This record gives sequence, C-alpha cells and structure tokens, in this order.
Amino acid sequence: MRNTVLVARFPKPDFTSGYQYPDVLHRVPMETFWSWVDVVLLVGMMGFVAWAVHRRRSRRAILAVSIVSVLYFGFFRTGCVCSVGSIQNVVLAMAGGDGYRLPLVVLLMFLLPLVFALLFGRVFCAGVCPIGALQELVNVRQWHISRAVTSALSFIPWVYLSFAILYAATRSQFIICRFDPFVGIFRMGGDVGMLVFGVLLMVLSVFVGRPFCRFLCPYGALLGIVSRVAVKRVKITHRQCINCRLCHHACPVDAIREPCGGKVAESRTIGTRRVALYLLLLPLLTVGAALLLQSQSDTLSMAHRDVWLYTQLRSDNPPAVLPAEVEAFHEMGRSMDELEASVVSVKESYRRLSAWAGALMGFVLGCKLVRLSLKRTRKTYEVDPSTCVACGKCFSYCPQAGRSTSQPMEQRAENGVYSNYPESRQRSSVAQHVNESTRFIKNSQHEEKHL
Amino acid sequence: MERREFLRTCGTLITGGGLASLGGVLGSKASAVEGETMWQIDPERCLQCGRCETECVMRVSAVKCFHANQVCGYCDLCGGYYREGVKELNTAAENLMCPTGAITRRFVEEPYFEYTIDEDLCNGCGKCVKGCSSFGNGSLFLQIQQERCLQCNECSIAKVCVSGAIQRVPVGTAYKLKDHA
Repeated sequence: MRNTVLVARFPKPDFTSGYQYPDVLHRVPMETFWSWVDVVLLVGMMGFVAWAVHRRRSRRAILAVSIVSVLYFGFFRTGCVCSVGSIQNVVLAMAGGDGYRLPLVVLLMFLLPLVFALLFGRVFCAGVCPIGALQELVNVRQWHISRAVTSALSFIPWVYLSFAILYAATRSQFIICRFDPFVGIFRMGGDVGMLVFGVLLMVLSVFVGRPFCRFLCPYGALLGIVSRVAVKRVKITHRQCINCRLCHHACPVDAIREPCGGKVAESRTIGTRRVALYLLLLPLLTVGAALLLQSQSDTLSMAHRDVWLYTQLRSDNPPAVLPAEVEAFHEMGRSMDELEASVVSVKESYRRLSAWAGALMGFVLGCKLVRLSLKRTRKTYEVDPSTCVACGKCFSYCPQAGRSTSQPMEQRAENGVYSNYPESRQRSSVAQHVNESTRFIKNSQHEEKHL
Repeated sequence: MERREFLRTCGTLITGGGLASLGGVLGSKASAVEGETMWQIDPERCLQCGRCETECVMRVSAVKCFHANQVCGYCDLCGGYYREGVKELNTAAENLMCPTGAITRRFVEEPYFEYTIDEDLCNGCGKCVKGCSSFGNGSLFLQIQQERCLQCNECSIAKVCVSGAIQRVPVGTAYKLKDHA
C-alpha cells in the first residue's frame, strides 16, 4: 500500500551514543471485565425489580434501581452497549458476512430483558434501562393522552424498528445509536441536534410519562409483545378492585384501562363486521406496505456508503469541491468494477430487505387495527401488560392496599401498615389520608352519575 | 375467561420457544472467545482526511497520533514536525505542523532528534501524519487510544471515515501499530 512504500525512505539511524528506543506500552482497558459486570448487574437489577414489583410491591425499591441504573449504565458506562442498540448488533450478526462476530455479552444484553419480560413483564423498562430510568426520575406530572393519540403514536417504534433492522442488515448504519437522544446527556456532550432533542424529551417527560419509551423505543415494542404473554403480570392490587380510578390517574404511561362494561354502544354485527374487515385488510396492508417500501428501495439504499459514493462518482454535474469520499476513492485506487459489483449486491439486498421491513410495518399496523376494534369486557381497572412498564406507581395509589393480606383497609391504616404510600403523605395521618381517598372515590362516583 | 387463559398460555409457550430458538441460533453465531470488540484504525488504509478530529463523540477526539520509533528516521528536518517550506527551522508556532504543540522533540546525538507525542494535547487532526507520510518514513500514524475511547456501539468516526479504515476488532488485537512490522 501507499504507506509501506514510504517506509525506509530515510534509513534507520545507527546511534553511537547508546540511545535506547523508548518502550511504549499502549494499555487496553478492562473492557471485557466491565461488560461482564454489566451483565451481572443487568440480571441482578432485573431480578430485584421483579421482586419489588411482584412480591414487595414497592415503588421505592424500583426508584432506587433507577438511580443506580442512571449512574452506572448511564453516566459511568456512558450508555454503550445497551439493549436497545443491541437489536442492530443481533441483526448484523444474523445478516452474516463481513466477519462480524456477535460478542456474547451483547447477545445477553439483547436476550436477557426479553426473557425477563416473558417471565415478569417489562421489568427491564421499570428502572434497569438507563433511558427509561432517566425519564422516570424526572417525571412529575401525568398529563394523560387520549387513547387514539397513544395508539397512533405507538406505531412509531415499529417503523423505527423496521428501518433499524433494514439499515443494520444491509450494514449501512446503526440508526438507533445515531438518533439516541439520551446518550449525549449521559456523556455530557455530543451531537448538538441530538442533545437538544434529548433535553426536549426530558422536559416533556416531566409532564408526560416516558415519551421515548412509549413513542420511540424500538426495543420497548419488542418487550411489549413479549410481555403481553408474560407468565406473571403486574397486578394493581391483590384484593378486590373498587373501581376508584386512582391508579388510572396515577399511571404515567396510560397502561391502566378503565372498565368498559355497558359502555359499548355498538351493535354486535357492526363490531364483528369491522373486525372481519380488518382481518381481511391485514394481508393487504402487509403486502401493500412491502411493495410500497420496496419501490423506494433505491432511494433508501443511498444510506449505504458505497451506493452514495457511486452516485457521487456517476453524477453528471459534479460539485466544484469534490467530497472527501470521492477523493479518497481515487487516492485508494479502488477499481470502479469492484465498486459497481458492491453497489449491485447492496441494492439487491435493499430490494429484498425493504420488502420485509415494509411487510413488518404493514402487519403491525393491521394487528393494531384489529386489536383496537376487539370488544372488551373489563369489569374493573386492568393493567395492559404490553404498555405497562412496571414502574410501580399504581401500587401506592390503590386504596385497596398493595399486599395480599386480608386485613380490612381501615384497620391496616390504623396499624400503620401503609408503608406503600408516598412519603409526604405518610407524614400526615395515614388514617386521614384513607378517609380523603375514600371521599374522593365517592366524589368521583358521584360525578359519574351526573355524567 | 377459560379460553383467554388458554390462549395466553399458548402465547407464552410459543414466545418462550421462539426466544429459546433465537438464543440458540444467535448463540452459535456469538463468540465468547473473542469477547468484546473494540474500534481500531487500520493505519495502512488511513488517508488523514481530518475527520477523526471532528467526528468523535468526545470533545477531544479519542483518536491520537502514535509514533513508531522503530520506523522513524530521527531526522532534523521532519515532515511531521515542521510545516512544508518553512524558512527557519525553529520552534516558532508558525513553523510547526502540529496546531496544538503536541509534538516535542529532544536532541539525541548529531544529527538525530527523538520525537514524542503528548497525548493530552493531541487532537487527532492527522496533519503531522500527512506530513510524515509525504516526507518521511510514515512513522507517525493515527490510532484510537483505547483508554479514552468510549466504545460506542457504532463509532461515529467509522460512519464517515472516507476509506473505511475504522473497523471492529477483538479486544486481543486492539492496537494495530507500525512498530512491530
């Protein structure tokens, strides 16, 4: 190569003064050690959150984990590699070629939260993921967003996921890492645009619970699917729900669905017809979206560096100042034939994979439509396992108490068992608080009657 | 409710099976031996385009200039130390190649000088590397200082590297140097 030719342009000096070449040692950090610490902590923290959610029913334990996660995974480990981004590494390894070997640690980062989600729900999101934890810690108010808007917005993660898979499988770029709004905050520096976006999301998450997790996170979409069939589900209370709606108000991610008995004003035939229509539409949407995205595959393939370089080289009116890539191409002496062959194969894989990515988007859209039109028969407030991030906020708001003791509510209050209540409220008389909350229930029921 | 429970259990089993098989497939592709990967510049491919200085996510790039003493000619008139066509060979800033004054030199014996890089000052711009490869033995080269590198999942310099010189390598071969050629 170019440089090797230049070596020995000047002869090696023969020192007479007994000069010794300095011994330079380039140290390699203990990356392997730390990544195993990551895995151990990941498992430990997810296990702890699972215990805190399902057994202890304590939000404080989850908040403690959130703080540890933000400090360790966020600020100390500076956010890489994370489970969200590991999707792309997994896809890259699956796509094969180019000699990419998936590090075992990255594989575990990808699989373990999914396994835990299957067992215990989204305990990873609760406080182990530094991105979720950061948003959780700054969240103060719960502005509720209507079901229609959340349903529409929750389609974005799937689009994001589809493109992330497409770009990773064609080895173009890792868009999840590129557009990660929080990594700049953890590193206290980085791309200005992303930093601004991150800060805006942080400000937004003060008022709306976890905007990134709900409306952007592609890994959250996967975890949501898996946790829909979770073995153990998050329960608001182990005792009888009294439909007081307090948990619904408290939930930062709108995951608690209200009872809908007697609310359906639609005749059965119309409902059934709509579900049937959407079921028929499902394959059409899938194929349609696949074809639509495939038709755009040549435009999409511009994200690959070789395709971009090729178009630059072949452009009819080249810019006055050539891009550095074009100069590098000439300087490196790559042949045009080799580049052309590469472009052809890249475009071919784009055509194939963009169809799959489109199909995934269309399929998810169809499934969402079907799901939205299914008739529900909830009698009480229920947790939607796919959107619930197991933050534990509802536990302390439930007047029916978190733990599965059979003590009546008032007696428990007198005994001071309400350790689950927020601290500020504990300072005042707990019994008084219970009275207040029951009064609120009565009021709200009263209101409903009037409505 | 019975039916719903049954469907859910089926879903759990299918998802569990799916995850297990995914784990199996990926496990066969994963490598425990090589362990983690790190980012590395191949000095043979590097063209010193200057993007290492500006594209790194760190405020001062983790890419530094390395010096292979074994390759260096120890010249007085060093293409990496002095700018091209300087009138006087002195250490005035306008004569020196390095914009941050990270290269220092020490007189060894007539006519040899030893050059050292101060990594804290080096910003990875690669100007000296360019000078050294056009007039010199090419003993100066850019490499990623692994202790400073954050090991982003995707290196933001690699993304824009004009020659594709930045690649993931196993930890064991983190540094590609010129000394041991």
